[in-house]
Amino acid sequence: MNIDHSKPLEYSTETNDMNIVGFWVFIGAEIALFATLFGAYFILEGRTGGGPSAGHLFVISTLMIQTFVLLTSSFTIGLAVNAMRLGRKGATIGLFLITLILGLGFVGVEIYEFYEYVHEGLNLQTSAFSAALFTLLGTHGAHVSFGLFWGVAIIIQLVKRGFTPATANKTFIFSLYWHFLDVVWIFIFSFVYLKGMM
Amino acid sequence: MRELFPAKQVIGFATSLVLTVIALLVYFIDMSFQVGMIILLITAFTQAGLQLVVFMHAGESSDSDSIYLNTFYGVFIALAIVFGSLLAMVWGY
Repeated sequence: MNIDHSKPLEYSTETNDMNIVGFWVFIGAEIALFATLFGAYFILEGRTGGGPSAGHLFVISTLMIQTFVLLTSSFTIGLAVNAMRLGRKGATIGLFLITLILGLGFVGVEIYEFYEYVHEGLNLQTSAFSAALFTLLGTHGAHVSFGLFWGVAIIIQLVKRGFTPATANKTFIFSLYWHFLDVVWIFIFSFVYLKGMM
Repeated sequence: MRELFPAKQVIGFATSLVLTVIALLVYFIDMSFQVGMIILLITAFTQAGLQLVVFMHAGESSDSDSIYLNTFYGVFIALAIVFGSLLAMVWGY
């Protein structure tokens, strides 16, 4: 394996470079996936069929908590990659853990929110609006939840093996995934919640 | 300790918080739907771009051309899906 020491560890081999480009291709496909869900939501958001509507359901306090928590976690995973480039293993793992704890908090608030929606009489079968809403929010929430398990697996490898081209590459790719989920949330925050409450 | 908080990322985070607060004004201040949507479109796309460049390091790898091309193609597909669907099924053309 050819290791180019002039580059950050996560880019240091040919395989690593290709892994990163490959992950960007995956992100391109994810953009298309979420676009279809947003498209479906925008078409169906008015079809509440006698059930609760967006304006009736959405609560500003949980929205602000979720947004702040996810934005902060996106910042901390960025700091973790920075710490990794400085070769600071302890700081990287610590920042990575903070990211995952914030992610867990986000998922927790989302579950609470879904519980409240069901309490308000909105479940997956209530209306076209509810189906589109739960599918969009649920797909994003499932991505974050998957990221928690993936992140834990990478942290274990960092603890066991330290920084190698492979673990650095995985950490960097995880950070791409996490920032992408933050971007998707920004669009949900703006065009599902705030648009619905305006 | 200072080196763990590079200025670029701290400023990026602060900017994203400011953009979030501006977006929240749509809820807290009474305004027309059109003005609100314009504000949201500007804040959301600015924040997405910020994440892409500051946090995702899209420009720094030797493959940055492919990465940008791929991402913009994804965004084009996304806009075509969303606005195409709205055009055909909601706006009624």
